[in-house]
Amino acid sequence: MKKFTRTGIVLALSAAVVAACGDNGEEAPEDTNGDDNGAADEVETDDDDEDDDDDDDEAAAGDFPEEDLEIIVPYSAGGGGDTVARIVSDHLGDELGVTVNVINQEGAGGEVGITDMANSEPDGHTLGVFGYPDNVVLENTVDTDFEFDSFEYLGAFDEVPHALFVGPDSQFEDIDELVEYAEENPGEVTVGESGALGLLKVLAFNDLADVQMTPVNFDGGGELTNALLGGHVDVASTSITSYDEISGQDGAPLGYAADERIDMFDDVPTFEEQGYDLSLSVSRVLVAPEGIPEEAEEALSEALDNLGESEEFQQAFEDANLPYRYLDNDEVDEELENNNETIQPLIEENEEDF
Amino acid sequence: MDALQIFLDILSFDVFLIVFAGVLIGIFVGAIPGLNGAIGISLLLPLTFALEPQHGILLLGGIYMGGMYGGSITAILLNVPGDVVAAPAAMEGYPLTKQGRAKEALYYSIFSSMFGGFIGVVILILFTPPLASLALEFGPAEMFFISLSGLVVIGALTGSNIYKSMFAALFGLFIGMIGISQVTGTERFTMNIPELREGIEVVPVVLGLFCLAEMFLNIGKKATETVQYEDQSIKRMTVVSQILKRKFLVFKSGVIGTCIGLLPGVGTTLAVFMSYGEAKRTSKEPEKFEKGNPEGIMASEAANNATVGSSMVPLLALGVPGSPTTAIIAGALIIHGIILGPDLFATRPDVAYTFLFGMLLTVVAMAIIGAVGIKYFSYVLKINIMYIVPVVLVFALFGAYSLRNSMFDVMVAIVLGIIGAVFKKIDVPLAPIIIGLVLGPLIETNLVRSMTIAEAQQVPLLQYMLTNPLAIILLILLILMLIVVVRLRRRTG
Repeated sequence: MKKFTRTGIVLALSAAVVAACGDNGEEAPEDTNGDDNGAADEVETDDDDEDDDDDDDEAAAGDFPEEDLEIIVPYSAGGGGDTVARIVSDHLGDELGVTVNVINQEGAGGEVGITDMANSEPDGHTLGVFGYPDNVVLENTVDTDFEFDSFEYLGAFDEVPHALFVGPDSQFEDIDELVEYAEENPGEVTVGESGALGLLKVLAFNDLADVQMTPVNFDGGGELTNALLGGHVDVASTSITSYDEISGQDGAPLGYAADERIDMFDDVPTFEEQGYDLSLSVSRVLVAPEGIPEEAEEALSEALDNLGESEEFQQAFEDANLPYRYLDNDEVDEELENNNETIQPLIEENEEDF
Repeated sequence: MDALQIFLDILSFDVFLIVFAGVLIGIFVGAIPGLNGAIGISLLLPLTFALEPQHGILLLGGIYMGGMYGGSITAILLNVPGDVVAAPAAMEGYPLTKQGRAKEALYYSIFSSMFGGFIGVVILILFTPPLASLALEFGPAEMFFISLSGLVVIGALTGSNIYKSMFAALFGLFIGMIGISQVTGTERFTMNIPELREGIEVVPVVLGLFCLAEMFLNIGKKATETVQYEDQSIKRMTVVSQILKRKFLVFKSGVIGTCIGLLPGVGTTLAVFMSYGEAKRTSKEPEKFEKGNPEGIMASEAANNATVGSSMVPLLALGVPGSPTTAIIAGALIIHGIILGPDLFATRPDVAYTFLFGMLLTVVAMAIIGAVGIKYFSYVLKINIMYIVPVVLVFALFGAYSLRNSMFDVMVAIVLGIIGAVFKKIDVPLAPIIIGLVLGPLIETNLVRSMTIAEAQQVPLLQYMLTNPLAIILLILLILMLIVVVRLRRRTG
């Protein structure tokens, strides 16, 4: 008898853990309540006004959402892309009155997760957040199952420009000194970068300034910062959001690749001000697989526009040290297509480096 | 906020509750094969958004601490390490279990973990700034030498037959080679499978080799073949005094864990195996290793818990996370608008100090829960193996899946489970495979980085690699280790 109790406990415990983890894992458990409501909405029309009051707001654009939503993030938990997804899921969930689950699906520089987004059921319930232009870089450098047009771009939330940093006691005070030195000593300046996009940024700057600096690849932002601060590379090519940790350790930014200064970093000059016309940013976008129903797209766009106006939403980004920039459904398409025109030729010119 | 108030905050009921909850969750996810501290932390990450920031990171810190210990429970009782850092605990602890000394092994594990964790956190509190600058000294050349010495450790580590150990290490290096080459960008053995481009993750390999293989070998055994272990009782104080007799070993392992734990990425795995190898080297009874030598448990368990404190050094001092787990902890703070780095102690002393001293509490909580829980953990031994196999299989497969929600990783785990079962049958040691897998890519990328930088600076490779005094010291250590390992193998045959 005792033995059975013990086995029972072990099994019950394991079941509990599996169930608990399943929650966060593949699929959210169906909310039976929500389903009943949904079914009721479909059947009855105007007969029963009282019962329907609660659902009126959400049901305004048809029956979307019918169930909880999922946001796939192609990066690991804790990074910038993941942080954006979690802020969006929180606020979007409140807006739509459902739970929005974040699922991390990292691997192959984002390819695994982005592929899954593209192949998911286009019913508007599975969405994705990734950092543009990761998808474009992947599409042009490896043999992917998705392309730029595999997605409906619903909105963009931030603009994180690329920047160049020098470490403590660097001989370079500004970008001109760096370029001058690199011109005289081709190949000698080492620039740490991480990921395909990091490499692209170095090559883009090399092209623009007509110099030759040597890219050195690191496994992630942490390693890269370490190498810069320890003096193992001359320059680090990373996003401007590393400003706090690098300048806190006596490193300094040389400039960043935005059209104009952004509020969060308004004491750092842009490249353009210093005579180098380079605009290259990562922008976290919310996407759905192409071909989602119009009513879903409308409901999502409307919810996003409400968030775009919400100060609380903006504050969450600023708290997380992310330069907030909201672009709605139409603006995001225009912006990304513009950017594609800069990025694609860059990759094509430097194809052998990838 | 002044120091007194911060101190009072730490002694509050809330903090105790959070620390205990964190450690308990950590021990559970650590003990369950396939789940580890990092997974536990990412599962609970959303919960911390609702807590005060200092409480949130203490919860995660508790999971981290508990998770490092938890893996050794199943390792000792079932020969199924919950995590790679518990692999040596299985190598030494399971033989003890077979001798009916399971409780004793568990006590060795918990008390060594406690001492190790304590050393790591105290060093974190006292020496964060100098250690952080030491961590910065590790560039490509230094990382290359230290990873290479990790490979040398394999020689000291394991197996009666050096050729089988070498084969295992090469097999691990081979698995580590799969993926896109950093050197040329060519794909190695990827067979057009996108998941293979990024290479094979360590966790599914560990699950396959250690958990699934052990369970596969249990399948089909008749009830009479599975041993029903008798468990002798032992007094806690006997174990503590045994540990105190070897206090230098425990202290040394704690320091090795702390120093190597500073290194980003591989710190923990490397630290555990290095201190295990070192324990074997200095042991009076090296021949008893892998047959149940408590010294192996003491060294590896002290080392892995010591890394908890030190992997937070770069995070707190520089804002640079040193391990996947600390990266998630950093993410949890960023969501609260707290930027880690040297300014943290000035801008948010409440968060910084609560966290530092709270981590000491996690060590205490771990020791209490562990010491009280051992009686209940060892009930596992009374369960018939036919109930255990399916449960472990489910957890291991689920753990492989949950790492990045990928069926591919499940396949990897199953394939390596079969390979592991075969290797166990023909006495190929498994630990070198993991070491090769973890260190191979590290050795390669750091060599390539060194070559790139040397070429840019137009100096010969060796000249670049030996510019830094630290690199020279590491090279000398590497050569010394080689000599020691060769001698050790002569001695033990």
